[in-house]
Amino acid sequence: MLKIDNLCKRYANFRLEDVSFDVPDGAVVGLIGENGAGKSTVIKSILGAVHPDGGEILFDGKKIEALSKSDRQKIAFVLDDVGLPGELSPTMLGKVMSGVFEKWDAEKFRGFVREFSLPEKKPLKEFSKGMKMKTAIAVALSYESELLILDEPTDGLDPVVRSDILGMLYDYNRDGRRAVLLSSHITADLEKICDYIVYLHEGKVVFDEEKDALLDKYAVYGADERQLAELDKDAVVRILRREYGVDILAVKEKMPQGFGFRPACLDDIMLFFAKGERI
Amino acid sequence: MKGLLLKDFYNIRKQAGWYAGMIVLFCALSVVLKNAAFAGTIGILAATAVPLSAVAYEEKDGWQKFAAAGGISARTAVAEKYLLGALAALFGCIGYFASLAVLAAMGSGTENAAEWVLPVCMQFISLSVVLPLVFRFGVEKGRTYMTVAIVLFLLAIVGLFPLLGNLLADGRIALAVGAACFTALLLAASCAVSVRIYSKKEF
Repeated sequence: MLKIDNLCKRYANFRLEDVSFDVPDGAVVGLIGENGAGKSTVIKSILGAVHPDGGEILFDGKKIEALSKSDRQKIAFVLDDVGLPGELSPTMLGKVMSGVFEKWDAEKFRGFVREFSLPEKKPLKEFSKGMKMKTAIAVALSYESELLILDEPTDGLDPVVRSDILGMLYDYNRDGRRAVLLSSHITADLEKICDYIVYLHEGKVVFDEEKDALLDKYAVYGADERQLAELDKDAVVRILRREYGVDILAVKEKMPQGFGFRPACLDDIMLFFAKGERI
Repeated sequence: MKGLLLKDFYNIRKQAGWYAGMIVLFCALSVVLKNAAFAGTIGILAATAVPLSAVAYEEKDGWQKFAAAGGISARTAVAEKYLLGALAALFGCIGYFASLAVLAAMGSGTENAAEWVLPVCMQFISLSVVLPLVFRFGVEKGRTYMTVAIVLFLLAIVGLFPLLGNLLADGRIALAVGAACFTALLLAASCAVSVRIYSKKEF
C-alpha cells in the first residue's frame, strides 16, 4: 500500500538518511524511535508537509507528490499537534470538514462525537488533550480512506484514553484491507496492535521486522565479564554495562541452552540499540 | 474552498464583526465630516487585516500542516486567502460607495472617476503586497515588513504627488483606468508569487 524508498531529508542539525520500509495492505506498522529520531519527519514527508531531498514515496504504486486530491484523501491522518481550529466546536468542524474532504460522512462524524462524549457546542481550545486527540481521530475516521497515519496519538494521554484510541485503531483495521502507520515512543501500545515494527535511530532505519518475530528473536540476559567473553559474538547484539555486570541483548537461538533470560520487550530492544555497545 | 472559507469565517467571526462595525462607523464619519477619505481608508485596513487574522489563526492552530496533509493544494490555500481579502474589500467598497452616494445626495459629492476608483484599487494593492509577505515570513514578521512596505508606498505617493495632482485634475478617466489595470496586474502577479512561496513552505 505504502512504500518508502531511500527517503532523505537534510536539516541544519539533523539528517534523515535512506529510510526505506513498506506498509503492506491490511497491516499495522509501528514506527518507533527516540525523540528527534526522525519519526515525525518521515510522517510529514508522507503527508506532504515537508519536501524530501531524495528518495521516493509510493502510495498504491503512485508517487505521493503526484497524487490527485481524491487519491491523497485516501490517506487519513492524525497529527501530533492535532492541527484543528481551536475556535471551532465539533458541530462547526463537521460543517467545515464536509467542504474539505470529498468523501466526508457527516453522520459518521456525529456518531463519533456522541460515542466519544465530546461536547458538540464547545470550542476545541477548551478541550483536554485527550478530547482534542479523540476529535482528531473522529475527523480521520469520518471519511473514506485506505491508510491511516498517526503521529504520536497516545503521547501524554492517560491509560484509559490510550486504550480507547487503540480500540479505534483496531476497529479501523479489523476488515484486514485498511492499513495503519503509527508512530509512538510508547512501545507498550505498539506491542498490542502492530504487525510490523520499524525502528528509527538518528535518522536511519535500524530494523524493520515483523513484531512477533522480533520479540521472539531477542532476549535479555544478565552476565558478568567472564561469561560475556565466552559467548558467541554473533549471538550478542548489544550490551549495556552496569555496576553489577553486563546486560546483554542477544539472539535467543544462538545463546547457550540453560542461560537464564527474560523476554525482550520493544522498550528493551530500543534501549539496547540506542545506548548499547557492540562487542 | 468552501470548507476553508467557512473555517476562516468561524475563526475570525468576532474580528469580522468588529471590522464591519468600524466600516459603518468610518462611513458615518465620512458623511458627518463630508470627507470620503475615512470610508476609503477603513476599507484598506479591513481588506488586509481580515486575511491576516485568518492566517494568524492557522499558524496558531497548525492548520496549514493539516491542510497540506488533507490534499489542499497551495493554489487553493492561497486563492482562498485572496478571496477572503476580496470579500472584506467588497464590504469596504460598499461602505465607501454608499458614503459617496450619500455625500452626493447632500450636494458634496464628486464626479471625479479617480476618486471613486483609487481607494478601491488601494484595497487590492495593499492586499497584493501584504499576502506574499505573510506567506513568506509568517504573520508576526509579515506585519513588520507590511509596515515597512506601507511607509515606502506612502513615501512614493508623496514623491509622485505633483504628477498625481496633475493627473487628478487633467486625466481623471485615464488615471482611474490606469490604476485599475495596474491593480489587476499587481494582484495577478501577487497571487502567482504567493502560490510559489506557499508551494515551497514546510510545516
